[in-house]
Amino acid sequence: MTTAAPTLGQPTRLSRSRGLASRFLVFATSQEFVLLLVVVLLFAVVGNTNPRYLAERNVLNIFNGNAYIAVAAVGMTMVIISRNIDISVGSLIGVLGTVSGSLAINGYPIWSSWLVPILLGGVVGAVIGFMVAYLRIPSIVVTLGLLSILKGGLITVTNGAWITDMPDTYFLAQMRTPEISLLGINIPAIPSPIVIMIVLTLLAALWMRYSPTGRAIYAVGGNAEAARLSGISEKRIIMTVFIINGLCVGIAAVLWATQLSIIQSTVPAGLELQVITSAVVGGVSIMGGVGTTIGAMLAAILLSAINSALVFINVSPYWFRAVVGVLILITVLTDLLRRRRTQA
Amino acid sequence: MTTTTHTTDDSQEQMSSRIRSFLLRQEVILLIISLLAVMFLAFGSDRFLTTDNLLNQGRLLTEIGLVALSMTFIIITGGIDLSVGSILGLCAIILGVMWDPNGAFALPLEVAVVICLLVGTLAGFVNGLIIVRLGVPPLITTLATLALYRGLAEGISQARSVRGYPEEFYVLGQGEFLGVPTQLWVLLIFCILTAVILSRTIFGRAIYAIGNNELGARFSGVPVGRYKIMIYTFSGFMAAMAAWIFVSRVSTTRSDMGSGLELDAIAAVVLGGTSIFGGSGSIIGTIIGFILIQLLKNGLALSGVTTDGTIVVIGTVLILAILINNFIQRRSGNG
Amino acid sequence: MQEKPILELEHISKRFPGVQALTDARMDVRAGEVHALLGENGAGKSTLIKIISGVHKPDTGDLRMDGQRVVFNNPREAQAKGVATIYQELSLYPELTVAENIFMGHAPRGLLGSVDWRAMRRRAEEILLSLNITDLGVDDKIGTLTVGKRQRVEIAKALSFNARILIMDEPTAALTEADVQRLFGIVRLLRERGVGIVYISHRLEEVFTLADRVTVLRDGHYVDTKAVREVTSEQLISMMVGRTIDNLFPKLPAQIGEPVLEVRNLWRKPLCKGVNLTLRAGEIVGLAGLVGSGRSEFAQTVFGFTPAQSGDILINGKRLDIRNPGEAMRHGIAYVPEDRGTQGLIRQMRLRENVSLAVLRSVSHSGFIDNRAEHELADKSIGSLQIRAFSGEQVVNKLSGGNQQKVVVAKWLAAKPKILIMDEPTRGVDVGAKAEIHRLISELAQQGIGVLMISSELPEVLGMSDRIVVMREGEIVAEFSREEASQEKVVAAMMRDAHSAVSAQGAAT
Repeated sequence: MTTAAPTLGQPTRLSRSRGLASRFLVFATSQEFVLLLVVVLLFAVVGNTNPRYLAERNVLNIFNGNAYIAVAAVGMTMVIISRNIDISVGSLIGVLGTVSGSLAINGYPIWSSWLVPILLGGVVGAVIGFMVAYLRIPSIVVTLGLLSILKGGLITVTNGAWITDMPDTYFLAQMRTPEISLLGINIPAIPSPIVIMIVLTLLAALWMRYSPTGRAIYAVGGNAEAARLSGISEKRIIMTVFIINGLCVGIAAVLWATQLSIIQSTVPAGLELQVITSAVVGGVSIMGGVGTTIGAMLAAILLSAINSALVFINVSPYWFRAVVGVLILITVLTDLLRRRRTQA
Repeated sequence: MTTTTHTTDDSQEQMSSRIRSFLLRQEVILLIISLLAVMFLAFGSDRFLTTDNLLNQGRLLTEIGLVALSMTFIIITGGIDLSVGSILGLCAIILGVMWDPNGAFALPLEVAVVICLLVGTLAGFVNGLIIVRLGVPPLITTLATLALYRGLAEGISQARSVRGYPEEFYVLGQGEFLGVPTQLWVLLIFCILTAVILSRTIFGRAIYAIGNNELGARFSGVPVGRYKIMIYTFSGFMAAMAAWIFVSRVSTTRSDMGSGLELDAIAAVVLGGTSIFGGSGSIIGTIIGFILIQLLKNGLALSGVTTDGTIVVIGTVLILAILINNFIQRRSGNG
Repeated sequence: MQEKPILELEHISKRFPGVQALTDARMDVRAGEVHALLGENGAGKSTLIKIISGVHKPDTGDLRMDGQRVVFNNPREAQAKGVATIYQELSLYPELTVAENIFMGHAPRGLLGSVDWRAMRRRAEEILLSLNITDLGVDDKIGTLTVGKRQRVEIAKALSFNARILIMDEPTAALTEADVQRLFGIVRLLRERGVGIVYISHRLEEVFTLADRVTVLRDGHYVDTKAVREVTSEQLISMMVGRTIDNLFPKLPAQIGEPVLEVRNLWRKPLCKGVNLTLRAGEIVGLAGLVGSGRSEFAQTVFGFTPAQSGDILINGKRLDIRNPGEAMRHGIAYVPEDRGTQGLIRQMRLRENVSLAVLRSVSHSGFIDNRAEHELADKSIGSLQIRAFSGEQVVNKLSGGNQQKVVVAKWLAAKPKILIMDEPTRGVDVGAKAEIHRLISELAQQGIGVLMISSELPEVLGMSDRIVVMREGEIVAEFSREEASQEKVVAAMMRDAHSAVSAQGAAT
């Protein structure tokens, strides 16, 4: 990469054209592109063995059913970039989902059953952020404690009662955009979770790229000492990150709850692991400081596709978690190797 | 300059006693809390303070206790092991599948137990290798293997449980020796063993040194990498021991065994005064920690609180314990 | 060249706990000049530039820019006034791009206060072009760049603040020859543009090729400022040296015996390049050299901390393979490291536990620590080194710097070494403790231990050593006997490049 050492004063066009070529190379080797490739390959290979895998319903299900994980992974991405972690997301989704359902069946306006969980998520995020940033408790411990508080609290309060008979207008996740015919092209109805997932991911990606605060997250995670010298307040950034993460979890909880006809008042097992895996596999470096939300979304889709694929190629879905574990290890190890090579 | 070593015996004694009292503080506080809790809970239910109940609680805390002992070593070095619950699950499944007379292996029970212990030890060793040789942070490594080992357990078991073990297998988990549950003896032996290793041996001293200043320990000739691999391997072994006892206690194997165990173990260790940042802590503290947690669980249950309600209490206690610990350390750091 | 200076410093004094870093120092920088700042290790150069760049505030004295008195409360205020600093340890974000690093904290803003990437990339490109840097893409990630390229990014970053004063602290220390030449090109370009450059370097050759004026500091005191054209390297060296030798314990005579340590052609890249060295029983060898010359790296290779890549280490004539510190210790090597806080001590632990850490085997039976033996060891150390502590139970953190250093020494003496390597044994230690440590070193040599003493304090090296060896850029470049050594000769060897113009110039005069 650094072979030629051009002498002073060479024409600038050289740098431009090299820039284009190298920019393509950067894109082609980026985590996002690799993930996209893997997803496409997976669809091709599994679809070839079993065409039913590519049936519209299944594909839609892959994207739709796990969109809430991708949404939660958006927040998790920021948390990990800032060199923290949140392992309470699964429990929080369970709790906020139950809150949402309870509001809906107890006669509160539908909009409040969508909005309140999101705001509540932000509040919980603020509490975590405060303990991590100001009380200096490691995020792993705070969220480990919170995980059990939420998990146990949920069942204690609800006694594990199921929530059913939500009003018809409640099911946000089962809605679709209207079919639009624009200039003769028919845009089919798209399920709302997919719309929300894509919009949120892109919004977050743009925010992290274009807002000074978004850039500061990378700075805090990448080189906290230097960040302090450039006048960035580490505490404020960590606080912001956890609040945004809480809001994302809130949205994820609403998507999760409104796709179910029965809310079971329990926490889906291993959910936090899927969210963290999506963020890590999506290109978030374990050392903090890199990654994008788009990669996390693609990784969430990949996980969902793998989970579904296991059924279609006659592998027991019970192996799914083992695959997740291996996937994290492979990603982390390639990341480490890549670092070592660039540093050498 | 020459008089300085001639401090009077008085002040010397004062100093060392002050240090000792400070050292014991977290444990003493914990002990007092435990006693208060016991008294409080005893009022709540007259079944609480009975020998039967307490011995029965001893049965229930053994698995967490074993894992918390090895977790103490890991947390003192500044690491963490989130995969212990999954290792327990994997080992339980291995034990069942290896023995299952209708299964593919149908091995003698003794052999199955040995394989179970070996698999756990190997799982811990793999954690250690990834952390030390590849340099992946413990948190991420064990988060990945938490998924991996649980996934292997689920994949191997395919949600089938194995039951119907021979009667003599239940001695460990349900039997008694000298009037005390068998597994409590095992726990006692490991408590003494780990306490002695941590406080009396070269190895134990090195563990503290690593947790306080890893670079300094390396410059002092401590084989840091090897010791770290050893403690993660030990953690895997202890999780396998816990699996063996667990299966023997509940008479069956299921792949979801031990999920959430890591939380209880970490809570016990941190509650016992071991700093989550590494460098300080003790086995005695951990022992008080896991006993307190079990008493809380039991007492609350007897007072009519559900098991899930007690999880809330444990989570709260964990966060509070760290807050208090941080507070004490900051005070002593300034003073 | 006779225009008014942009920056003037007068009567600057700065005291840190235990050391007077600067006493009545002064300096001025004019537009369009390269002003070199020279001095030995610890002469106060770093403190001076940290005062200019707003990291430290002076206890007394004034900073003036364009004749106006200014006070910098932090580096950002200095930056805002046009003072930019390029430190030795680069402060970049490895995961971010070149453009972002250049504009971190002051990126061009666009719509709704968002980061305007297009403008940022364009301006970054302009800055790079203005420096004739064409081999850096503004989208390259810092982590993938070589040290030389990263430094160019740092310079571009400084210019993005429209710097009028650019401070460069040993900018060539880690650069390849080609990168050094490019750096010189950039520095000359900036000089033409009227930027005032403060340039710190240990390489006299660079001072003569690049600088217009040179200011020399010694022991925190201002010595003189000269036009480079009017001085010779010999004059500069004699301005730098000549520190007073006070409070030094006189060296005791010792019987010098057989070689205990022989090192042959020892390699461990990047800073240990074919080192040869012999150390005899009872001998004190002083290892002199600039910071970064590879002294500690060499010592840590012998100690097995960073095992050798090739070459031989012989102990008592026997060739040994030392793969880690534990093995080195078993062969009788002890290493008192340079940084006692992070390397030498476990500061949160007790004195007793620190003293015994490296020799736990000797106070234990089959793995179990014998408490009484450990207490005795601690008490013995406190007594023999006169460590001022209540008892062995005291936490090391609470001891003074000098006593902490004694604990480190005690810890390694407990290992009963045949070969003792001491890296900066008296750094940050008060005068009394210094003399005690010197007496101790002398006594150890008398007992037949071979001592290799790494020190940046020339009086200490000259006063204590039987023989003085000088390292530069990972190689041993000179050796002097106690009799023939002088501060001038040692400093000249430390600073002079093998094919330097300086030596030629020196020979001509």
